Amino acid sequence: MTAGMANLHGNHACALGAIAAGCRFFAGYPITPSSEIAERMSRELPLVGGTFVQMEDEIASMAAVLGASAGGVKSMTATSGPGFSLKQENIGLASMAEIPCVIANVMRGGPSTGMPTRPAQSDIMQARWGSHGDHPLIALAPASVKEIHDQTIRAFNLSERYRVPVMVLFDQVIAHLLEPIELPAAGSLDLVERRWANGDDGYQPYAAGADGIPAMTRPGDGHRTHTTGLTHAEDGFPTQDPDTVTRVMDRLLGKLDQHGQDIEAFECHDTKDAEVLVVAYGISARAARRAVRQARERGIAAGLFRPITLWPFPEQALRTAADQARSVLVPEMNAGQLVLEVERICRDEVRVAGLNRVDGQPIEPSQIARRIEEMAADD
Amino acid sequence: MTETNPAGFEIRDYLRLDLMPHFMCPGCGHGIALRALLWAVHELGIEKDELAIVSGIGCSGRVGGYIDANTYHVTHGRPLAFATGLKLARPDLKVIVITGDGDCLAIGGNHLIHACRRNLDLTCLMLNNEVYGMTGGQVSPTTAETRLTTTTPAGNTEPAFDACQLAEAAGAGLVGREVTMQTPALRNLIKQGLEYPGFSFLEVISDCTEIYGRKNDLGESAEMVLSQKSDMRPEAYGNVADQPFRPNRLLTGVLARNERPEYGETYRRHADGVANGGKAGA
Amino acid sequence: MTTDTASAEVGERQQPGAVADPRTRNVLIVGVGGQGVIMISKVLALLCQTQGMQVKQSEVHGMAKRGGVVFSHVRYGAQVWSPTIPMGEADVLIAMEWAEGVRWLPFLRPESGVFIADTQQVIPPFACRNRQFGADMAYATETPAEIIGRVSDGFALDAGRMAEELGNARAGNTILLGTLSATLDFPLDDWLSVLNQFVPKGTEEINRQAFLLGRDWVEKARQDPAGPAGLAPELAPPPIQPDIDVRLEITAEWCKSCDICVKLCPERCLELDEQQIVRLKDPDACTGCRICEWLCPDFAIAVHHDNLAEANA
Repeated sequence: MTAGMANLHGNHACALGAIAAGCRFFAGYPITPSSEIAERMSRELPLVGGTFVQMEDEIASMAAVLGASAGGVKSMTATSGPGFSLKQENIGLASMAEIPCVIANVMRGGPSTGMPTRPAQSDIMQARWGSHGDHPLIALAPASVKEIHDQTIRAFNLSERYRVPVMVLFDQVIAHLLEPIELPAAGSLDLVERRWANGDDGYQPYAAGADGIPAMTRPGDGHRTHTTGLTHAEDGFPTQDPDTVTRVMDRLLGKLDQHGQDIEAFECHDTKDAEVLVVAYGISARAARRAVRQARERGIAAGLFRPITLWPFPEQALRTAADQARSVLVPEMNAGQLVLEVERICRDEVRVAGLNRVDGQPIEPSQIARRIEEMAADD
Repeated sequence: MTETNPAGFEIRDYLRLDLMPHFMCPGCGHGIALRALLWAVHELGIEKDELAIVSGIGCSGRVGGYIDANTYHVTHGRPLAFATGLKLARPDLKVIVITGDGDCLAIGGNHLIHACRRNLDLTCLMLNNEVYGMTGGQVSPTTAETRLTTTTPAGNTEPAFDACQLAEAAGAGLVGREVTMQTPALRNLIKQGLEYPGFSFLEVISDCTEIYGRKNDLGESAEMVLSQKSDMRPEAYGNVADQPFRPNRLLTGVLARNERPEYGETYRRHADGVANGGKAGA
Repeated sequence: MTTDTASAEVGERQQPGAVADPRTRNVLIVGVGGQGVIMISKVLALLCQTQGMQVKQSEVHGMAKRGGVVFSHVRYGAQVWSPTIPMGEADVLIAMEWAEGVRWLPFLRPESGVFIADTQQVIPPFACRNRQFGADMAYATETPAEIIGRVSDGFALDAGRMAEELGNARAGNTILLGTLSATLDFPLDDWLSVLNQFVPKGTEEINRQAFLLGRDWVEKARQDPAGPAGLAPELAPPPIQPDIDVRLEITAEWCKSCDICVKLCPERCLELDEQQIVRLKDPDACTGCRICEWLCPDFAIAVHHDNLAEANA
């Protein structure tokens, strides 16, 4: 795909963003509504010397992505709810062994098989806590076809830089939405490459410098390291020594903390004087944007805070945006997930309410507008 | 001098010595299998830097960590899937999967079937000790019927897998089985697997003395490895042994060859065709 | 091993009484599997039939594919009763393997028997029972010169090499058949015509040449016992395991006392010490076979063959 304007589906924009980011390996398994990502990758990867493989199941595709990434190649997979559940064990391995990888999750109605062809935003908490144990990861929630493309590129950059799994969470609506986007010229992007071990004799695969991120090695580099999902010391080998485990887990779990500026992405619309703040992401944020504009037209001081990075949540940015607010509304296509995080952050200052839909239909601007008016009247 | 002479093979050259002694129980056959593997690696002149060992969970999963190579200890049942990604992304590597009967045939059974079908150039060494040893001795897909385990307190009532027949039927390029007691023969089998350009499935009949052997009164390790040998029948004996003198025994040696194209080569050829404007497969 | 005793009782073409020399002759043909013992005995038996004699042939084979012993008794004459040759009554003992020839010597007539032996050596596994490095082979140590000096008429030849020089290494048994023919009173043409019936199509000429080569060799050896044909060839020295030093290196801290090595050592030369760690109990018994090294799951035993390089040099 050459640079310039193009009309693209969200799923295709995801695939092209991955290719632009340097992704050269994709392993996947067919699942609605994400299959077009795999289909597009199967066509694009051979053109750039990459490898596509359709694995025997969702678990295998996540494992193969980790294998390829361990081999030193930028790798990704794509899936939807049921597949996302199956991938969780290897997402945990990616977190633990610090193997970079990108997972696109095109959210659909759940639980279980749910509504495969209907949109939802119900994997927000699963994205954060789906794999067992405490583990670091990043989740991004684009709201447009263009943003799917750009955030997929960013997902690779973050994953390669911080050695965490990065999830790109969007939903069936944007995945199948056709929008014009401008594709960047090759070479115009800032791409992050993994920091490789430099061949020092004293190299320890999980010893990090001040930035908390260890340099990585790949087979053939001569370090011959051990990679394991077991809790391991800096040398990569399993340990259960409490002091060592505390030290290495503190680093692992805290390694993203000092990089919040780089990781956390968000947008603020009319938040400076907003008395009613809407916090929305993904497709719901597009409806919220219109609702906020309508409220402003009716004289209500409404604003929109749109987190693009969901995990780690841009906590300080939300506090700032909610500074003037008397109430916060969180519309989302689930039974109330991100609202829990917003409540945690804002509960002492303001009233937080959710607006939820689980019927497989997108939230409409009028719904949000109505709630904004109600909340403004209550204040 | 003779065929069985190690000719310069020093196992210490291939071990992470600071981790030794390894954590396997006394008399565990996995150590013997590890020697045979490293011996084969040595004789084929495979460089340690180019060697990638992928293993899953269980006793077998811990074997790879003692090898001074690029070692990956991944999730339960998934080493073949992980190795598939690694080998596709890095065809220059020699990728060996070390797995066990539970890891490979139960939780990872689907990956085995499809790895056989795909015929990517991997060598899968399945250490079969008929039991889940790491978790304390539960019944596995290869536990013989009537055997006692912690989850079959009155004896196993489920039939066992013949993993080699499974691999053969699924299309594995090379299928073989050997007992640990025939160490040079096991080394030769592994060498054949490593040299085979495609997917090779090699089952090693290993012994779990501490848990399985004790529970079933199979004797000490020496008795177990001896009886494993006498229970097996070299494939070279062929149909002679289908006659009464050793009925219902597993065969050892190279048991099947499916001459099929190696998948990585096939994919890259097709990808090149696509890249040059043709259709995949053209 | 299967044992077949086959008797052929034929030769009714002429009345037994018509045979010029009615005395029963005994030819004992010995060797190991695959050398052609049976072929020689069949040629001889058929030849006797064509001469109007009664023939009995009795053989033991069955280990042919494994280098095992094969022998065949051929008895012919006007009237043959027993199918086997008693001890000390073989007129001709023809051996296709050197040690087999030596082993069957007691069957030869002491006063008049003819001994013909190929000096080819096929060393059986049983000759290697002493597994120590440097141990002697339990294989015939008698030299051809010694044996020929002990029998009334003896010939030792390297038929394999002669056949090779002729152009077909497999014709060695035909060369030996030729040597046999020189010791028996049958017309040459009859020998050649029977031989022709037995050899594979297309090899008739080379077998004829091989037969004549063996036959002439005996004539030459008789005429000039000191000449090249008459001199008994030297035996190749039996291959021996080089005498090397075996050293067991035991890494005590890796040993987990599993006892595999102790129980599976063929020489029973290992034991567990007071700390239940393996130790070499009987260094003299250790043959350095490496079984303990291979079967130690903990890599606690390394077997070193210290001066192997020098031994091989």
